[in-house]
Amino acid sequence: MSEYRIVFSTRIAISALIAATILTIASPALAAGIEIAVGAPDSVSIGQDVEIKAVLSEDGVPVEGAEVVLTYQASLAGETARVEIAAGTTDATGTAVMVYEQRADFNGEMQVVYRGPGTDPVQPFVFTIAVESDGPQLYQFEVGVRIPFINGTLVILVISSAWFLIALAAIYLVRVGRAGQSTSEASTTEDGSMWIGTLLATVAVITAIGMVVVFIRAPVSNAHIRNPHEYDRTPIAHVGDEYSYVGFGLNDESAAQTGDPIADGAVLYFKYGCAACHGLSGQGAAVGTPLVDEVGSFGSFSEDTREGPKGMPGYDEVTISEENLEKIHAYLRDGR
Amino acid sequence: MDTLTNWHERLIGKTTRATLVTTYKYWLWLGFLIVITGNGALQYWKQWQDGLYVTDMRDRISWGLYITAFVFFIGISHAGTLISAILRATKASWRAPVTRIAEFITAVALLVGASFVVIDMGRPERILNVYRFGRWQSPIMWDVMAITTYMTASIIYLSAPMIPDLALYRDRLSDKVGMLRRFIYRTLALDWNGSPKQHKLLGKAITIMMLIIIPIAVSVHTVVSWIFSMTLRAGWNTSIFGVLFVAGAIFSGVATLIIIMAILRRIYHWEEYLTEKHFLYLGYLLAAFGAFMVYVNLNEYLTQGFNLEEAGVFAFRQLFLEDFAVMFWFYIIGGLLGPVVLMLIPKTRTIAGVVAAAILVDIAMFLERYFIVVTGLRVPLMPYEPASYGPTFVEWSVFAAGLAVFGLLITVAIKIFPMLAVWEMTEEHEAAISGTHSEEASMAGTEVAGSGTSMERFSDAGGSAEEGGP
Repeated sequence: MSEYRIVFSTRIAISALIAATILTIASPALAAGIEIAVGAPDSVSIGQDVEIKAVLSEDGVPVEGAEVVLTYQASLAGETARVEIAAGTTDATGTAVMVYEQRADFNGEMQVVYRGPGTDPVQPFVFTIAVESDGPQLYQFEVGVRIPFINGTLVILVISSAWFLIALAAIYLVRVGRAGQSTSEASTTEDGSMWIGTLLATVAVITAIGMVVVFIRAPVSNAHIRNPHEYDRTPIAHVGDEYSYVGFGLNDESAAQTGDPIADGAVLYFKYGCAACHGLSGQGAAVGTPLVDEVGSFGSFSEDTREGPKGMPGYDEVTISEENLEKIHAYLRDGR
Repeated sequence: MDTLTNWHERLIGKTTRATLVTTYKYWLWLGFLIVITGNGALQYWKQWQDGLYVTDMRDRISWGLYITAFVFFIGISHAGTLISAILRATKASWRAPVTRIAEFITAVALLVGASFVVIDMGRPERILNVYRFGRWQSPIMWDVMAITTYMTASIIYLSAPMIPDLALYRDRLSDKVGMLRRFIYRTLALDWNGSPKQHKLLGKAITIMMLIIIPIAVSVHTVVSWIFSMTLRAGWNTSIFGVLFVAGAIFSGVATLIIIMAILRRIYHWEEYLTEKHFLYLGYLLAAFGAFMVYVNLNEYLTQGFNLEEAGVFAFRQLFLEDFAVMFWFYIIGGLLGPVVLMLIPKTRTIAGVVAAAILVDIAMFLERYFIVVTGLRVPLMPYEPASYGPTFVEWSVFAAGLAVFGLLITVAIKIFPMLAVWEMTEEHEAAISGTHSEEASMAGTEVAGSGTSMERFSDAGGSAEEGGP
């Protein structure tokens, strides 16, 4: 447990001390005038168990049996909400201890909220806890058994020794070749070579080193959760960050007003959702038939679009104007 | 009574004949294999363009015939290791004629097997990411490591004992073959001239490889099994999977060796060298492994079945009674008990009987790989309807191409490399006929192939062996 920042106000601290020394048979607390004080650590790291103490008092008298919850601000896909992460009930001294496990890398504004039994509104206690940035980036389970000397280094040693022996055998083959060159005179019919042995030995040695490098690099090459800076293969999105969505601007009227009917048609082909069934470039897909080679005259195309044959919805002139339909037709006929 | 020299010359003649004499049947066979391979390549091109959609693998059953083929071929590749390394290490004297073929099967099956992993990938161009972003915490990575190591080791283990025979080819065939093969013999023979120093060095290389390749081979198929058993799926999540896979690998490897030996023996008339004894010994090995496999299967299914977990009920029902029952019982009765029975009955204890057993084993082991892969994935992890899987034409074509490439590589290798280990066979033959008679003979016998000088010494030794021979 790390040190506590005491966020008690003086008055409440004194009353809490008094409350601790006086045994009172607390009657069910009346919510009116209840005040909340909180003791919490300054900063925590991910994976740590964090203890939060809340002391409730009413006019200096500790409140027993009150229910409180700890909440923090969570945000997902642009939606924010308060999430309960712990709850507790106060004891005779008016103190409730709540423990939660730090998993997110940002807590935002935390609150201790009174939940009852009284019904009158109570001002929640607002505070913040910083999350240390040098901890592991993501939450990890600490399960598993660590056995001394049974680890990655041992694996590297075993693999290296296998490759050492393979390389050694290859080197013996090189020496076979060298022995042949030094003893062979005119009796050998043609000039031999030992490069194949050398090649094998080289390949074995290089592959051996490569294997070991892959092993040693393994923790940094992918998903290195201990060091966020090494984790660069996939962009990281943090809970709480907001990302602006950049679309294609299909709703922008001017996108289909370039003057080139084919370019305009391509935009409109997407805008009206034709691509969803007929494929990204009108080639046809699981639902929609191919359009590119089948598009035909504008007359029949227009008729089909307005009526919607074989389960396709019809698009009237309010939805797709005649002008826009001509552009789509132009795109499908000449666009590719 | 043959003189040793005559025996030796006849052996060289029979071995080189396979390389030199090519009949129209060879070309027909080659053409057949190329057609099958071509069709597979064409279908793979389709898969390359359209993605894995052309297979029947989907979200629930995401491994199928390709991974089956991968496991099957990697299993076959254990033929070379067992026969060659274990028999060499235990100094089994009858091994010599079968080792070279076994080692070729290993190298070729590994190449084919490993490529099925890439074929199974939806984005094969990302294969290098395995090395760039590989994490050794992943069983897939262990597999990559083990197979890379095994492949390198197998190629060295194949080429090292072949050096003296390549030297023989270099000396004997230089005027009978084209430039390419002359170049291959010259470079791969490593200036071999049979000097004692070279023998010593080669011996060391072979000994190291022989010792290191046994644990590597065992690790390879254990790691292949771990890809399955490290999951929490019913039917896969069992500690005996490593043993089951390694035993099954050696089992199917020996069976494949028997089949290929029988084919080559028939085509190239190697009856004198690949005798009934060799087939029977390998047949006994097959029967012993069949019995062992029965034991391992009993062990696996009884422990899982006795403390039956919920998902196990579905896994067992589909395997023993429903969708996969025919495959499973053929595997147990035909593939595992069949070879044992065939070897027990004196009437079928023949070459034909052994080959029949081997064919049964290979089919059964293929089916076993198939139902292990598919049934494991078919067990629902959530209460949904079990998925179905049946390989599509594309998958069958690519699998057939895998078999064809396997045959093709061996067929081509016959025309380049000596498929019988001439120098080892000569050593063995020497030791057999001289018995306790002459140490001198066996000493000289180690230098059979190579330069003219060693050949002369060999003839002298042959002369002395002749006097005391049986």
